[in-house]
Amino acid sequence: MNLSALLEVLKKYDFSFFGTCGAIFMMGIVNLYSATHASASAHLASLYKTQLIYFFAAIIIGMAVSFIQPKNFYRYSIFFYLLTIFLLVLVLFLGHKGMGAQRWIVLGPLRLQPSEITKLSVIFVLARFFAKYNPDKELGLRDLLVPFVLAAIPTILIILEPDLGTGLLVLLIFMAIAFYRKLKWRTIAIIGILGMLSGVIMYNFGLKEYQKKRVLTFLNPGSDARGSGYNAIQSKIAIGSGKFLGKGFKKSSQASLNYLPENHTDFVFSIFNEEHGFVGSLFLIALYLILFIRFVWLATSVTRIFDSIVVIGIASLFFWHTIINMAMVTGLLPIVGLPLPLMSYGGSSLMTFGICCGVATSISNSRNLF
Amino acid sequence: MFGEDDIVKSHKARAAIIINLIILSFIIIIVRLWYLQIYRGDVLYKYSLENRLRKEVVKAPRGLIFSRNNQLLVNNIPRFDAIVTPQYLKNKKTTLKKLSQTLNMPLESIEKILKKNRSQARYRPVVVKKNISQKEVAVLETEAAKMPGVSVDTFISREYRDAEVGGHLFGYIGEISQTQLPKYRKRDNFDYKLGDFIGKAGIEEKFDLDLRGDDGFQFMEVDARGRMKRVVSSGPLFGEIENRPASPGNSVRLTIDRDMQITAFKALEGKVGGAVAVDVKTGEILTMVSRPSFDPSKFSRGLTSEYWAQLVNDENNPLRDRNIQDHFSPGSTFKTITALAALEEGIVTPNTEWMCGGAFKFGRRYYHDWKRGGHGLTDVYKALRRSVDVYFYKIATLMDIDVLAKYAMELGFGRKTGITLPRETSGLIPTKEWKKKRNGEEWQKGETLSCAIGQSFVLVTPIQLAMAYAAIANGGILYRPHLIKEIFNNNGDILKKIEPEIVSRVGYKKENLDAVRKGLYQVANMQGGTAWWYRGRGIRMAGKTGTSQVMSMTKDELFSKCEEMPYRQRHHGLFAAFAPYDDPKVAVAVIVEHGCHGSSAAAPVARDIITTYMKKYEPELHAKYAEEDKAIAKKAWLAAKRKKEELEKKKQEAEASSENSEGEE
Repeated sequence: MNLSALLEVLKKYDFSFFGTCGAIFMMGIVNLYSATHASASAHLASLYKTQLIYFFAAIIIGMAVSFIQPKNFYRYSIFFYLLTIFLLVLVLFLGHKGMGAQRWIVLGPLRLQPSEITKLSVIFVLARFFAKYNPDKELGLRDLLVPFVLAAIPTILIILEPDLGTGLLVLLIFMAIAFYRKLKWRTIAIIGILGMLSGVIMYNFGLKEYQKKRVLTFLNPGSDARGSGYNAIQSKIAIGSGKFLGKGFKKSSQASLNYLPENHTDFVFSIFNEEHGFVGSLFLIALYLILFIRFVWLATSVTRIFDSIVVIGIASLFFWHTIINMAMVTGLLPIVGLPLPLMSYGGSSLMTFGICCGVATSISNSRNLF
Repeated sequence: MFGEDDIVKSHKARAAIIINLIILSFIIIIVRLWYLQIYRGDVLYKYSLENRLRKEVVKAPRGLIFSRNNQLLVNNIPRFDAIVTPQYLKNKKTTLKKLSQTLNMPLESIEKILKKNRSQARYRPVVVKKNISQKEVAVLETEAAKMPGVSVDTFISREYRDAEVGGHLFGYIGEISQTQLPKYRKRDNFDYKLGDFIGKAGIEEKFDLDLRGDDGFQFMEVDARGRMKRVVSSGPLFGEIENRPASPGNSVRLTIDRDMQITAFKALEGKVGGAVAVDVKTGEILTMVSRPSFDPSKFSRGLTSEYWAQLVNDENNPLRDRNIQDHFSPGSTFKTITALAALEEGIVTPNTEWMCGGAFKFGRRYYHDWKRGGHGLTDVYKALRRSVDVYFYKIATLMDIDVLAKYAMELGFGRKTGITLPRETSGLIPTKEWKKKRNGEEWQKGETLSCAIGQSFVLVTPIQLAMAYAAIANGGILYRPHLIKEIFNNNGDILKKIEPEIVSRVGYKKENLDAVRKGLYQVANMQGGTAWWYRGRGIRMAGKTGTSQVMSMTKDELFSKCEEMPYRQRHHGLFAAFAPYDDPKVAVAVIVEHGCHGSSAAAPVARDIITTYMKKYEPELHAKYAEEDKAIAKKAWLAAKRKKEELEKKKQEAEASSENSEGEE
């Protein structure tokens, strides 16, 4: 390939996804540095360096993925799906234990978290199914049966690890895709009513108080098992104390005094708010909004329905993570332990979002590159 | 693929809805942020500056332990620690200096403790000195204003009323360690955290889940110096704040009798051994004492390294409960089982008489009797009364070891009794199969002879002995020993009642049980019985002495005087008994390590325990028996006197030598 051809490719290459994500990540890394640099433990204090390494790794892998042609996603989706199911089963039996849950497979220096790539493989397999069978019709309850099973199997396996948050996330992605694939309004109403009824009945009559707690503790051992909401309260104090303009860079008292545990993973948004205030978070939210709208816009401008559904799936993956994390730290939802995309510390999730960007870019490029 | 352009386009409506939903959800987040940061911003800002909200754990008091008569045996008392909170420490040097003077500890060690905890959050208090005195508490409280950052922490500690009495029974509590944390979390499915106290031995360990309450917590508002000001409850600001009170642990009522415990403890004074007494009709444990012992209170107040070293370095191992965690050769106390087996198998009848000399030749070896000259013509009663070894050797030649083992196992030997205490050992009843598996060798018939008198491979625990003798006493019902009568909550509501549990009914013939019981009765109540001198008064004790060799001995060593041997080589003395003979109520087993004789070392302990029982629970019967015993003793004394006078007369007349009657066993 000569230089001019390369330039040609770069000219047509869609940098919007990596660009937006990179911008969000920049804010994330600054925030992470601010939250952890003063930490007493050397491990915590150097987290931002590790996070940078993860970021570059994620960019490289994401870029590589962006040069895979979308038809290959379609072709290998079933194989990819079966592979992740196999890994999920494997992790249950010989996974590495950490924080009371069994989520990782250790391969030498690499720690693989199969539930992360599962999100992606479920998106591909669902997209393939919906694209192949009557993509022009509206969906009824009966059409949902097979895709539901496809989504439910990994969900159950992930909940067994136990990782309730990620498990439910897979179901939410399924719902988003089904909605986009024109699930009939009547069916949505039926599912909604049934879900609500069974939830209320289960919670109020099926379980005793201590059982509810037991179940919750079992499903999510990382949560505040004594049910006091300490973290949630400290998070609200952090956010509120930022006021309009925030306390400023490296000025978070909640983080430096370690009142807020997990401030480098689940609670990064609280620290961001404390330091940059209402204005800062408006800016951050705007960035996220741009990213999501870009995703949905891409979904409507491609030519193949499979690609379209994949992009919607990826968008929902980003969106659910973002909105649940924000709602959780502001006290609108219980603490379920989902990271904020690109802001929270964590190699696995960063890698997932990098690959997602790669997939979206590949689909975008396929319109005029390949 | 298909011409799908239109298909994608047909989804545009849904895409638009999705975009609207996304925007809507971010608007909700923004409204929420506005509420927290603008509307409530000032208040929350204040909170964040001083971090005025603190979550405090409210420790749950542990359940109490009562005796069978509702005497409080284990109680909770407050204990005080001196703590320093680094965040609020001002004028660090002068404050710490003052603190070191008050607590009478060097400044360097305080600084060292603070340094060690430097990596934890600065608002977390650091315990500088545990268990400070009332006086130190008073000084710290009054001087608090001059020492910002220093305060007194109160918490509940365990108090064991009778200190060393029953140390093994109650066990002790201690702080859960980092390494134990995951193990216990998994075992109990309970969210322990560092610093939690858990039972680590005895009843405290076994009934930990019942005794331990559930810690509560509350949110406290604190001032700039870290002092608690008030409890914060739910409000519009923080939403639902859940302050949960601590729920105290459940209390237990034991089957243990405190008076008998103390009697047993005193009776074992200066000895190394254990004693256990059970109710023969229920299997309830009335007494269980092991010595040397330890004071569990010292554990729960934070063990000092000196005390721990003292316990660990004591070669008699005070931490071991000899009643359940140690096993011994039962010695002659096992002859009761051999006799019962022989009667049931028809090898002997109660009146089968054999001539018993001083030794029994089997194969090429001589098996000696403990009495050099032998016992002469012996039936089952005499065999038990005088512990005639040769009689049992003879039985052993006519009985297979597996048959003997069957009877022993039916009476509960060779397996755990299932007592609700940790780390029970099972003892050992050998069989042919066991030996083959163990070292591939065939069983030697000669070994059966040794087993028949409770030596060789046979190993039993005192609790097994007591349960077996209880079964013989009550007509053949083997109970599972139990310690807890009931578990009740703070309001006194009984949550769980533990009923007697029958392990098995042996179904032996009544006349055989009667014969064995009669033999045991004669041991203590007929002149010449091995425990005659320790029969007590008013208790009608029926029992069997036992002496178990610590190591194998030559013939000469066997007959040398035990008290003259080195301590570690002296025999163990055992005694197992039940009382009263006519209507058995209590069974006792005693072991005294290196006590030389079952009669002189162990029997008095059993006698004292039974006497306490009879006086307390059967005073009328005790009085009646005592009266009768007195009459019998008087008659015996008169008879002895008359005999002595006659002898004296004869002596004077003929100057003949009379044989000296030897001490027993």
